[in-house]
Amino acid sequence: MSITEFIENFADQFDETDVTSFTPETKFKQLDEWSSLTALSIIAMVDDEYDVIIKGNDILNSETIQDLFDIIEKQQ
Amino acid sequence: MSQLTINNVRIAGMSACVPATVEENLNLPIYKDQSEALKVIASTGIERHHKVETGTTASDLTMKAVEKLLEDLGWQSQDIDCFAYVCTSRDYIAPQTACVLQDRLKLRSDCCVFDLPFGCSGWVYGMSIVGSLMSHGTFKRAILVAAETNTQNRNPLDTTVRPLFGDAATATALEFDGQRSRPMNFMFGVDGSGFQAVWAPYGGMRNPVTPEALQEQEVSPGVFRRGVDMVVNGMDVFGFAIKRPPQSLKDLIATFNIDVETVDLLLLHQANKFIDEKIRKSVKIPAEKTPYCLEEYGNVTSASIPLTMVSRCRETLAGEEKHCLACGFGVGLAWASMEFYAGDVKISDMVTY
Repeated sequence: MSITEFIENFADQFDETDVTSFTPETKFKQLDEWSSLTALSIIAMVDDEYDVIIKGNDILNSETIQDLFDIIEKQQ
Repeated sequence: MSQLTINNVRIAGMSACVPATVEENLNLPIYKDQSEALKVIASTGIERHHKVETGTTASDLTMKAVEKLLEDLGWQSQDIDCFAYVCTSRDYIAPQTACVLQDRLKLRSDCCVFDLPFGCSGWVYGMSIVGSLMSHGTFKRAILVAAETNTQNRNPLDTTVRPLFGDAATATALEFDGQRSRPMNFMFGVDGSGFQAVWAPYGGMRNPVTPEALQEQEVSPGVFRRGVDMVVNGMDVFGFAIKRPPQSLKDLIATFNIDVETVDLLLLHQANKFIDEKIRKSVKIPAEKTPYCLEEYGNVTSASIPLTMVSRCRETLAGEEKHCLACGFGVGLAWASMEFYAGDVKISDMVTY
């Protein structure tokens, strides 16, 4: 899996946030649009695209998109 | 794999009772504005739920559901050989609620009654347990209740649960019948490592009720809970629900050589539309064969599957035999899937409390 592709998939879960807002360093939980429902979309996307089920704590403990990417990569 | 086949038992009738009071998610005071409510409704599919008045218990709803079912079937309470009560919102810490209901329903004093404290997987587990007892042939008629008052053990100021859960009681009448029955097949599953995904931390023996456990705290912005209130960790439940139930249904299909093309109804625990649709698509069953009632009643835990059958499948199940799959999943974490046939089922009109 590549971080570029992961960021594209990640950004797809947002409706209003501009796609250019997403980088490996983005602190995603600080985005205005972030909500618990976005979190569920992310979990579903990670299951569909990478066949990994992430836990609530994986999201809570990740600050940046790169952090979450690293957690998923380890479980693959 | 733990698999089970039960013979000689059929569903004779079903009924349900819901409280008259309806809470509309659109108007809940916990949201900043209606756009927030609309987002929740769009993603969960849940528009409203029925809610008991404080003081009304799941057993009160059960009384109405069972009385209606017996009347419509022409059964007497004295005919019942076995009565199982699937519920976690029990009337008292002791005794079991089924004992109190034996007297209230005027069941025989030699009736086999018991509680089954299951959550969302409860109707499927209950069918396997009561069905097994009946398959021996000496119990001829049984009632399986699946009931819950979810609004009473969750905090009304907890935005993560209030829009999702409702109250209901259902009753399923089972009879021993070697002629008109088909085998019922089951698969089971559990992951106790996830017990904190849905749980009430205080009020049991591990963490008894203390004055502190009754103090309401803001655990995260907009989420208020006491130690005795039910916690639902949405992200962990979601991760569980998109993985285990699909696998369970696939295992059921493979183990019992089920031709999915012949399935008439997929009956899912009504968790939320997003989760349930993922499960449905994973087993490639068309939308028109997958009834929902969560838009009207929310998640009513163990009562979800039978409430869907009573409120949405009355005519379908009254006719000739239908090939059904069901999957219940949730608190435990526990789940179970079953294959069964149902036809000529007497389904009562919905009862309101």
